[in-house]
Amino acid sequence: MGLRKTPAALVAFGTAAALAIAGCSSSSSSTGTSTSSSSSAPAELTVWRMGGSVPSEVTWMNGVVTQFHQDFPQYAHTKVNVVWVPWTSRTTDWDTALSSGKNAPDITELGNTDTPTEATLGVLASVSSYVNSWSGKPGIVTGMLANDTQNGSIYGVPWFGGVRGVWYRTDQFAKAGITSAPTTWTELVTDAQKLMKTFPGTYGIDAITDDSNAFASFIWGAGGQIATESNGTWTADLTTPADETAIKYYVSLYRTDHLSPSKYIGQTELGNTGSTAGGANTDFGLGKLDLYIDGPWASAQMPANSVDKSNWASFPIPSENGPTPAPVFAGGSDLGIFKSSKYPQASWDLISVMDNLSNSTSFANLQGFFPPYSSQLTSGPYTANKFLSGFAAAAANSQIAPLNAKNWPTADTGKYFILNDMLKSLMNGAPFASTVAQANAQLQAVLNTGAES
Amino acid sequence: MVRTDYGQPGSISSPAGPPSGHGRRLTFRQWIRRHRVAPYLLLLPSLALIAALVLWPTAQIGTLSFQNYGLPQLAGAAPSTWIGFSNYSQILHDPEFWLSLRLSVISAAIMVPLTLTVGTLVGLLLARLGRKMAAFVSSVAVLAWATPTVSASIIFVWLATPDGGVLDWLLTKLPHWLGGGAHWAGFSWTNAALPAYTLVTLLVVWTGFPFIAVSVLAGLRTIPSELHESARVDGAGGWRIFWQVTYPLLRPIFQLLFLLSVIWDFAVFTQVYIIIGGLGQRDEYNLGIYEYATAFQLPPAYGLASAAAFILTIVLLIITVGYVRASVKEGALT
Repeated sequence: MGLRKTPAALVAFGTAAALAIAGCSSSSSSTGTSTSSSSSAPAELTVWRMGGSVPSEVTWMNGVVTQFHQDFPQYAHTKVNVVWVPWTSRTTDWDTALSSGKNAPDITELGNTDTPTEATLGVLASVSSYVNSWSGKPGIVTGMLANDTQNGSIYGVPWFGGVRGVWYRTDQFAKAGITSAPTTWTELVTDAQKLMKTFPGTYGIDAITDDSNAFASFIWGAGGQIATESNGTWTADLTTPADETAIKYYVSLYRTDHLSPSKYIGQTELGNTGSTAGGANTDFGLGKLDLYIDGPWASAQMPANSVDKSNWASFPIPSENGPTPAPVFAGGSDLGIFKSSKYPQASWDLISVMDNLSNSTSFANLQGFFPPYSSQLTSGPYTANKFLSGFAAAAANSQIAPLNAKNWPTADTGKYFILNDMLKSLMNGAPFASTVAQANAQLQAVLNTGAES
Repeated sequence: MVRTDYGQPGSISSPAGPPSGHGRRLTFRQWIRRHRVAPYLLLLPSLALIAALVLWPTAQIGTLSFQNYGLPQLAGAAPSTWIGFSNYSQILHDPEFWLSLRLSVISAAIMVPLTLTVGTLVGLLLARLGRKMAAFVSSVAVLAWATPTVSASIIFVWLATPDGGVLDWLLTKLPHWLGGGAHWAGFSWTNAALPAYTLVTLLVVWTGFPFIAVSVLAGLRTIPSELHESARVDGAGGWRIFWQVTYPLLRPIFQLLFLLSVIWDFAVFTQVYIIIGGLGQRDEYNLGIYEYATAFQLPPAYGLASAAAFILTIVLLIITVGYVRASVKEGALT
């Protein structure tokens, strides 16, 4: 960018010089600006979406923009730009946009764990006044909105939510003689082994190291906590017996049970950091992985040549001893207005269309999420659907803390990758006690202070 | 339209007055000649460029390294404060810094000699080949050098992917006594520092050796063939000729190549960033990646990263200055 700027600046300077020499200086400066009649109507609104561009979502967005133009005639000439940002580079991109002041969005999608941190960092504008007078507010799941509130100000609105579960294929289960989904950790291993035996050359389950949101379910499923807060101070719990049981179990999926290949060490569910393909998702889609841990939204990132799609189904991540599933992380996305946006009102008006009951529901259905409206969650078609029923069952028992703690992104994929590194070291053979103790101390320090020491 | 007047006589508006005692004014040209400023005037454009592109950012980084400079300061939400050496002490107390420094030092210590050896051997080979073959070999080698770093890195990632990458396939086909075997199937080259940096080293050597080879070849062409001939007549073998004739004559070239290689290989960033797949693997950071992550990962700490960058700069400066001094003493670089 910096390099490309120079010639442009030179050209501009040269043009200006030429104009000055030619003696025609005045009239040229005002062209290209202020074509719109009203000052509050922006010529363009930029929306940052997370992930890779998906055609069906683009179609959905086009429909929303049409509605936006109809519902708010004053924005009839406002162009809406959608920019897709990979999940893994989102924080960097927000920082860059905020610091450079260039190419900044007006509206941005945020993971619901990002919102508290980004609000504290000053990336988001407060939307309290808009939300409080918004007709949609009473229907939104209370806990989801509370997650977006910092010191009494609201910095975003929940857009959709979802939980992770275990993907499987019903035909594979039948062939391997598995009659019901596993509900304990022992059954999970046994079933994965059966599948690997029945389908030689496949991997049983993906014990990836870089998805704390999924790994949290194993900690919680053993009755443990990652960290607990009391009076504003965090205590990391990784060295508790329950947590150690969970960590040992997860690592053993690779090290002793050989259900997961070595290439998943250091990978997210979508492959290398920043990739959206080539990881466990691609392997499951191509039939090389039998059990895959992810949310229903991952359908969008499955390869186009995925096999046997009609038999995809899900079950909740089991707890250690069953029969209730392990608690799951309540993930999802929010919509927020970027601090530097010159058009907060127009941005909010667009958000109110994107996030109304019918649009958020159609959008959630489109990508396998749940809308943020309580009424849609209690009824709805989700429990009847083979693919979604497992996720719906899991969603009954969800948790966010400490994954929404202010310093969690720093402790996790923002900077220190504490759980990821711990699992990776253990899978690569590091001594258990000292590695976990080190991660525990690091986690506690970062959660409390935002830094390692 | 825009004229650059660097170094042209007309751009110097008021030359210093003539020395007293002379009745007439010196012309500008005479003034330049008398004060021997011509070389400096000619150096001025490049100095200005270096100042703008290197010195100014370095000064900025130096300033930032003493400040508490993060996102709030950049956004203007909070003032930046001077915090003395606290960034430096924080960096020096960070075990991650020492780990990444260790990786940088070890990998450079392997990459530099390897690149120099391979490059020299290819250079010697090129000197012996016939014209057509030499042109073929050197153009193939230069092709590796000319491959953009990002493309080359991605090619290596694909060669080494556990899902049908040719590297794993080849290793499973190798006979057992050569270290091959079925255990290489699906071997991941990126899930730990050792295999990842093995791959980085291969990549750096592959893209780095052609420059060495071409430079050595150019050096070899300057050595009169009589020297080699007489050495051979005296009964010296290839090994002895290289160390007693070729190497001493080409020592200035080798010293320069060594210095450049150290600087390049110590500061390797792109290849590592692509091969380890971004910033997700902290145990695979080298110093450059560490600095980048410190600066831009959440929460951004530009001051802290500047301190780290300054430390790297100082380390490289010490190596460079020490080396240049030693070389100048030996008369190699003069």
